[in-house]
Amino acid sequence: MSQQVTLTIDGKQVTVPAGWTVVDAARVANVHIPVFCYHPKLEPVGMCRMCLVEVGLPERDRATGEIVRNEDGSPKIRFFPKLQTACTTYVQEGMVIRTTTEQVARARKDILEFLLTSHPLDCPICDKGGECPLQNLTMAYGPGTSRFPYEYKLHLEKRVPLGDLIILDRERCIICGRCVRFQAEIAEDPVLSLDGRGRATYIITTSDPPFDSYWSGNTTDICPVGALTTTDFRFDARPWEMHQAASLCNLCPVGCNIMFDIRREPELGGRFAVQRVMPRQNEYVNEIWICDKGRFAAYHFAQYGERLTQPLVRENGKLRPASWREALERVAQAFREAGSGLVTLASGRLSNEDLFNLARLTDHLGGRKVLDTFLAGGEWTDKVGLGRESDLAALGEGDAILVMASDLEEEAPIFWLRVKEAAQRGATLVVANPRPTKIERHAKHVLRYVYGEEGKVWEALLAGASEAAQALARAENLVIFYGQEGLDLATSDAVARAAARLLLTTGHAGKPNSGLVAVWPRNNDQGAWDMGFRPVADLADTLRQVKALYVVAADPAGDDPHLAAALEGADFLVVQDLFLTETAQRADVVLPAQAYIERGGTYTNALRRVQRFFPAVPPPEGPQPDFAIVAALARLLDLNLEGRSTAKGFEALAAQVPAYQGLTYKDLARVEEQFPLVSREVLDYTGTAYPNGQGLGVVLPNAVERGETVAPPEAPEFPVRAFQGLLAVPITRLYDRGTLVAWSDTLAPRLPEEAWVWVAPETARDLGLQDDATARLEIGDLAYTVRVRVNPAVPGGVVLVPRSVGVVLFTPVAVHLKAVVPAS
Amino acid sequence: MFKELGALVKGLSVTFKSMFEPKVTFQYPEQKRPVKPRYRGRHVLRRYENGLERCIGCSLCAAACPADAIFVEAAENTDEERYSPGERYAAVYEINYLRCIFCGYCEDACPTQAIVLTDQYELSFTDRWDAIYTKERLLEPVPPGARPTPQKTEPGKFVNPIPEMPDFPEWKP
Amino acid sequence: MPEKHLLLRHRDIPDIHELEVYRKHGGFEAFRKAVTQMTPDEVTEEVKKSGLRGRGGAGFPTGLKWSFMDKKNWPHYVVANADESEPGTFKDREIMERNPFQFLEGVAIAAYAVQANRAYIYLRGEFWQVAAWLDRKIAEMEAAGLLGDNLFGTDYSLRIYTHLGAGAYICGEETALLESLEGKRGQPRIRPPFPPSYGLYGKPTVVNNVETLTNVPLIIERGGDWYRTIGTEKSTGPKVFSLSGHVNRPGNYELPLGTTFRELIFEHGGGIPGGRAIKAILPAGASSAILPATDEVLDTPMDYESVPKVGSFLGSASVIVVDETVDIVWLVKKTLHFFHHESCGKCTPCREGTYWMDHLIQTIAEGRATPQDLEILYDVAKQIQGKTLCALGDFATMAVVSGMERFREDFEAKVREAVMAGG
Repeated sequence: MSQQVTLTIDGKQVTVPAGWTVVDAARVANVHIPVFCYHPKLEPVGMCRMCLVEVGLPERDRATGEIVRNEDGSPKIRFFPKLQTACTTYVQEGMVIRTTTEQVARARKDILEFLLTSHPLDCPICDKGGECPLQNLTMAYGPGTSRFPYEYKLHLEKRVPLGDLIILDRERCIICGRCVRFQAEIAEDPVLSLDGRGRATYIITTSDPPFDSYWSGNTTDICPVGALTTTDFRFDARPWEMHQAASLCNLCPVGCNIMFDIRREPELGGRFAVQRVMPRQNEYVNEIWICDKGRFAAYHFAQYGERLTQPLVRENGKLRPASWREALERVAQAFREAGSGLVTLASGRLSNEDLFNLARLTDHLGGRKVLDTFLAGGEWTDKVGLGRESDLAALGEGDAILVMASDLEEEAPIFWLRVKEAAQRGATLVVANPRPTKIERHAKHVLRYVYGEEGKVWEALLAGASEAAQALARAENLVIFYGQEGLDLATSDAVARAAARLLLTTGHAGKPNSGLVAVWPRNNDQGAWDMGFRPVADLADTLRQVKALYVVAADPAGDDPHLAAALEGADFLVVQDLFLTETAQRADVVLPAQAYIERGGTYTNALRRVQRFFPAVPPPEGPQPDFAIVAALARLLDLNLEGRSTAKGFEALAAQVPAYQGLTYKDLARVEEQFPLVSREVLDYTGTAYPNGQGLGVVLPNAVERGETVAPPEAPEFPVRAFQGLLAVPITRLYDRGTLVAWSDTLAPRLPEEAWVWVAPETARDLGLQDDATARLEIGDLAYTVRVRVNPAVPGGVVLVPRSVGVVLFTPVAVHLKAVVPAS
Repeated sequence: MFKELGALVKGLSVTFKSMFEPKVTFQYPEQKRPVKPRYRGRHVLRRYENGLERCIGCSLCAAACPADAIFVEAAENTDEERYSPGERYAAVYEINYLRCIFCGYCEDACPTQAIVLTDQYELSFTDRWDAIYTKERLLEPVPPGARPTPQKTEPGKFVNPIPEMPDFPEWKP
Repeated sequence: MPEKHLLLRHRDIPDIHELEVYRKHGGFEAFRKAVTQMTPDEVTEEVKKSGLRGRGGAGFPTGLKWSFMDKKNWPHYVVANADESEPGTFKDREIMERNPFQFLEGVAIAAYAVQANRAYIYLRGEFWQVAAWLDRKIAEMEAAGLLGDNLFGTDYSLRIYTHLGAGAYICGEETALLESLEGKRGQPRIRPPFPPSYGLYGKPTVVNNVETLTNVPLIIERGGDWYRTIGTEKSTGPKVFSLSGHVNRPGNYELPLGTTFRELIFEHGGGIPGGRAIKAILPAGASSAILPATDEVLDTPMDYESVPKVGSFLGSASVIVVDETVDIVWLVKKTLHFFHHESCGKCTPCREGTYWMDHLIQTIAEGRATPQDLEILYDVAKQIQGKTLCALGDFATMAVVSGMERFREDFEAKVREAVMAGG
């Protein structure tokens, strides 16, 4: 523990770690020191002058250095003649702070009067009105009337789009610089800046495209006025009209804690609808931030997508609406006939409760549980994953983090943030990737390798030969993140094994803050592994041979034309989904499922933290929750599964799945005081992020902690992958054209419009391609027209193809890329 | 017996007396009873002289409403399609008269004096949906010589979010 | 002939801007002496002993500043503040243009004293010609082996660079200057930490005014004790006073600290034109509190202790003289317009307060104000004081507060004008 300091604030004694500011100490002591420019997650700058307080220190004798005492023995306190900014004053032993004096009250009133002179006071039409720090502080500390004549007011532009997502109102801006500093210090995309001088200072964006950052939405949370608003929520509702539902973002394996703000929506016929997504504090996961993808696309697909509303059955080659009874009976009969010929293909988008029921049903019939993914290693994250009570915030000096085959910011933005912060606290960061990624800025060691030669990297790391390998082995705590860049299923399995071996042989397994983290492509892939779902090496082959195929929350036909063809081989196809997907169009029976915002459940994130989400809006008539559909089906097949509530379902799950043993929803609901203290009552301190009153979740014990014997696996044989010719490698980009984000109008302008690829300048030259040229990409029997983007950061001889942006590619393969000669 | 007759006469005397008193019954709907100057009846949404709507969609009336009778959904003005001065207008404005208690708090809360209560009390519905007055029904007619909304306006002319409000003249329906 | 000038030596010695001439008159001997015969601490001690105080305005003891340099954090930097942005100040420019080597030698000695191998001269953007001139002089020094590696056969090396600002008053403030030098927006940093512990690029840095540094070769050459014989006990040494305004002979005057206003204005400056009466004095340019030109004020010695006693500051000693024809409201309006224009916008009271005050004073000056406006102006000025991030905010209020307290009648006359006009 760091050194503790005791000080007195308004007569209250408070003990806080050395290095804290007076504002933070006061917050803990429940004394409100108003702030605008200060934010506990940002470096203090002392600009707004709102936090002026009286600061006193024990007087020391100049000669002896002894503390001078009053007659009663108490230390004599000497106050600074001028008021000091509490945000730039650091706590000291014996310090005395006064915030209730006449002088301080006067100063607050004065500063507020100054701020209001240049503020338009258009609160009735301001999106921040009702949750605005300036409004709240003016009510609490400000002057009742204005002495500033209206004619003096400076009128500035009211609608300046900073980018596609954020709109700036220059008149409302009080130039606190929080957004500029957030982008520079936290997001590390310094794309905002202040321009001009004095009263003519304003915020500008310096990037092209404007405000080019995955974190831009957070600036609206910390903006202490309504200067920054999102295009998603602009003029949608007033804050007091909405009620809240705690949830989780389901777009990546981080599992950010979010809050849905809900109100009736005329556009949707007056139904209750999500109006906006706000971050909900969980310092173990997303702190008080969320990425723009989550903020601007987490609910749109459920709300605005073309949803299935009733079961469909195939009759005379066509799908027709049917009753639930008819549809389920048809499925049950087919499943009964198929018996062990049943294959259940599920994705990690489902909740643990859904997956558990699906697994039970499949096992009951002797079928096979297949997970729709190309990243393996889930059994190893279960064995040597991050230990119980793990906290990424605890990683710092003496610890080490290895990031392998993952572009963290693109795949799981919050993991990028947390790893970066650990590196800034002094943790040794080793990054192994064939190309540079944003996280590398903080890397101590960069291990560059050629796609396909992952084995060599691990050979060196396991041999402990290099400086990087020794740094990892010696570290107090070691966390290994691995993603799927350049890997296929077999190689990713080898990577996981090798990582597990490193953790086990260097004594890093089975303890908190150490372990293996897979950067899964889907939010609950970990849960799916835990419930027994496994990927298969050749999905097409498997599908071709099934008697009955039960596809839940997956769309193989939409993902890959080869799989679509393979589906023809399935005797009976059941699809359970939100939408009439490509696969559903080929189905014999289609079962409409509820979206996650309409029901509850739990997800297990990549850190193996089980977290609960709650129903946010009433479900539309027709669709049912996945676990309930499975339970209803199971009843017809003489199996009793929990279909009434997720709480009951979770109980059943916890009784059977080892890692979840004994867990209840009550455990998941545990909360604790987290720094910085977030409150909707003290908006000026942390912004409009919601506090967490619904539960921080629980990190599952890994196998070592559960007392199982986990022997280090043999150093794995990496599959030989000698690639001939031009190699296409799929890469993950946060903004793709995936089925879920595609429904968000808000995010649409930020999503790629056309298929594109990255190639190195020398490769482009060799292929006779210019930057921005149109080219033909031939992958096996498929061909695509793509836009070529020349990027010096790409290794030579490689075409990087973004996933889900028009080109079907899941693992690296040799391809041809040819210039398209325009038909003159 | 006389005693009983006396009681009858006494009782009927009240009846007879009232027969000669002035009548209080109005022959509604042919005759309408005048209301007091501050009578609170059905609302109207007002316009400026140039036809622009006063309502800026701030929803403060809905917040003030003790009966939760008002629903407002705002949207953004453009110079191409302008409903009100400034940036924001009410795209949806509904009052449910089955809920409204005619307290007038909405009028108090309104920062632009857009929603006002009139002396109209003739509210009858044959359908529950008819009791929900939409913006179209609530808006007052376009003043003579003014254009209806949305208007196409000169860029930069109506930038002020809350238009300047000279002393508010007494309003008569 | 006794030396008339110690800082403005070009007035006595023609062509001292030529390296040969400067060296013939003992130039760079002090630097050689420091590097070859003295330890860095001895140099600092000598400067401490001299009692030299910063000439930029704050009057902080120079030697003491040098001794605060954090010796655990390297490298160290020296920055010469040649921003000279205070209205009414034009002394540094004359020194740099006419006597450049004495200044550059001072920079070099300061760098040696704090063991910096890099020194920067930060000039205001308008001084681009001066910067080009200094670049040439620096090149000459390098050619002559006075800058570069292994100076005078020791292992000490030093390079000096010039840097042009973009023309902002605030960049004369040392932390804003450092930000600007780093290529950022010229806005002051929160202090503490002060530059000697956290300066340029976060490294310990000495920031000294041009004139301060120009004193240093003299101190090293002739000793701190000799230096103390000039000036007063606490304000030692010579000082260049920039005299402007209503005087017959405006210009720079090098006089010992402690010379009275009367001597400067009437003996050296030749008095007020047209025999008019003197009304007020701004002893430190636009940022000074206005002094009424009473006998008490005129007989006040211009040093760092005496001027505050009559209610102002010596600052950079840019004495602006105002005669009886000037309306103080007009004068305050000019200063407020300046500070409104120059406020950097970082902290609230200065950003908003200068804007408000500028509006108010315009209303008053145009004769449209009410007595309440006067009250508000005074209130707003008081409201800014003591709450700003840097000194600029306080500077902006000096003329207002002193003007309204000491020349109340000028303001009231303006308000009466408004009332007469039918207010």
